[in-house]
Amino acid sequence: MFSNILFSIAKKEFMDNIRNKWVLILSVIFAILTIVFSLFGSIFGTGWQDIQGTVSSMIAIVQIFIPIIAIILGYSAIIGEIERGSMSSLLALPTTRLEVLVGKLFGLGSILAVSILIGFGIAGVIIAVNIPNPDIVGFLIFIGATILLGLVFLSMALFFSTLFKKRSSAIGGAIFLWILFIMIIPMIVQGLLIAEVGIEPLMTGEKVQIPDWYYGAQLVDPGSVYNSLIALTIGSMSTPGNPLQITYPSYYSSGLMTLIFIIWIAIFFVLAYWRFSKKDI
Amino acid sequence: MITKTVECRYCKSDFTVTGNPGEKLSIPCFNCNKKNVVTFSDKGGEFVESVPVSYALEVSGLVKIYKNVKAVDNISFKVRKGEVFGFLGPNGAGKTTTIKSMLDLIHGDAGQITINGLDVRINGKEAKKLVGYLPEKVAFYDNLTALQNLLFYAEMKHASKDECKVLIEEFGLGDAVKKKVGTFSKGMVQRLGVARTLLGNPPIYILDEPTEGLDARGVVLIRNKIKELKQQGATIFVSSHILSEIQAVCDRVGIISKGVLVAQDTVAELSKKLNLKPKLTLELEKVSDAVVDAIKKISGIYDVKTIGCMIHVVCDSNISAKVIVAIVNAGGNIVNLQTQTPSLEEVFLKYTEE
Repeated sequence: MFSNILFSIAKKEFMDNIRNKWVLILSVIFAILTIVFSLFGSIFGTGWQDIQGTVSSMIAIVQIFIPIIAIILGYSAIIGEIERGSMSSLLALPTTRLEVLVGKLFGLGSILAVSILIGFGIAGVIIAVNIPNPDIVGFLIFIGATILLGLVFLSMALFFSTLFKKRSSAIGGAIFLWILFIMIIPMIVQGLLIAEVGIEPLMTGEKVQIPDWYYGAQLVDPGSVYNSLIALTIGSMSTPGNPLQITYPSYYSSGLMTLIFIIWIAIFFVLAYWRFSKKDI
Repeated sequence: MITKTVECRYCKSDFTVTGNPGEKLSIPCFNCNKKNVVTFSDKGGEFVESVPVSYALEVSGLVKIYKNVKAVDNISFKVRKGEVFGFLGPNGAGKTTTIKSMLDLIHGDAGQITINGLDVRINGKEAKKLVGYLPEKVAFYDNLTALQNLLFYAEMKHASKDECKVLIEEFGLGDAVKKKVGTFSKGMVQRLGVARTLLGNPPIYILDEPTEGLDARGVVLIRNKIKELKQQGATIFVSSHILSEIQAVCDRVGIISKGVLVAQDTVAELSKKLNLKPKLTLELEKVSDAVVDAIKKISGIYDVKTIGCMIHVVCDSNISAKVIVAIVNAGGNIVNLQTQTPSLEEVFLKYTEE
């Protein structure tokens, strides 16, 4: 029974967004982005880059872009329906608030996942036929990690959708959190690192001893976790925003990074449920 | 000894029973004299009655407070199975808060609500299977068509696609079945909302302003549907600000004012409690002083007014015949006669006046 209702809600969310043309728009954007970055992303060469090079070029933009899309998809999922009036009809059916929330997460998560799969997938195929020995597994890992990053911010947006009484406040809150995680926390962490080791060794690429706290702090930032997950699975890479050639500590692993993503998703989902279950509709 | 008031399973009237813990007694109802089996629990004086649940909806001691203001203040009422119960109140009286609490959409600060004996806070999912709910603000998913919307709700209520199509036709939306709901007028959305409420043919309906936004044809359609559902044995709890609508279909009414349920009974009983009298309006060929004097002499007459050939009489309900005889004996010739029982509007205004 639980799965039937959940499936119905998830399917409705999916269909609603298919009709919105969200999937199509996102897929096209992802495909174009990937192809453009593969062709023109490297300052060191011309023509198609290999998968590692393409992924390396795209990481910074994906870290900014995917969270924004996830927030746009999720911020009005609950409060939007409450404001419109359709939530009272939905919850008057033989459903629970947990089923509604899980259904929303699954439905919107599917939109995000399908768009990323189609967009990056099409681009991946185009790149693969143009380069020798493409790292297909690596590219699939990149797609998987990107979906996980999106789900973290989707779960976050769902929480904000239950937290506020107006859609405008919900998007404001979600954008604040995005700025906090994507800009403020990384800047603070980088700033503290510079304060400790100095700017010169970082600029010159000189080998420096990175303090332990830095690696711990990176784990609370989904963007850094995303970076680390990709670096640990498809090879260490430098990104335009992060010139550090980081050697990860031994406890860093792709499993740990995946687990952290899942914990983020779970934490915000539990918070969303806690808030939603108390909310008057 | 334990004393408790129970409801007779036959005539539905309340009567008091007394027994010892652990006893099982067959007690005749004080009203209809039919026997009801009542069991007294032997655990701590708790009382268990064997009379099956006869209330479709029970609200007991409901309180809802918003920022130190009691929107709903200790409301209690019961709606019997098969009954049409009208819920009335001025704007902001607490009608929608009460209705939403009944479905656990709003969490009350105190009180208990049961649907067919199931506590909505504990067995909400099971309880809601029995209910069709029409909210005050009907809304759908604008990007989906009328049929796609109904199919979504039908899946949750285990109703079929055919049922969706039949309901769409019944409510005059056949031509718009494949149109996105976002393009619908308010009246069309309301009709689709009523169709959604009926999906799965539940035994209980909770309707919050069902005729809101409908044209005259739509209003008649809803009124007839309520009557049809009642004939089928459904329980209907309906809130409306159109009092004539309520009076036309309801068995009993509850009146809420400033969060307090100030009255609940049949319209006739409430009129009696308020001492509201019926009105006779008589049209005569010619009104003479003798006729007016003859009417005034009858005991049970409270007011007599003449306007042209019309006489308006406020009197006890059982003396209409005496009035007619008095007029004829005084030489009056009655052309037309109308009897007007106290209206729900009068009852409502009396109970909700400042």
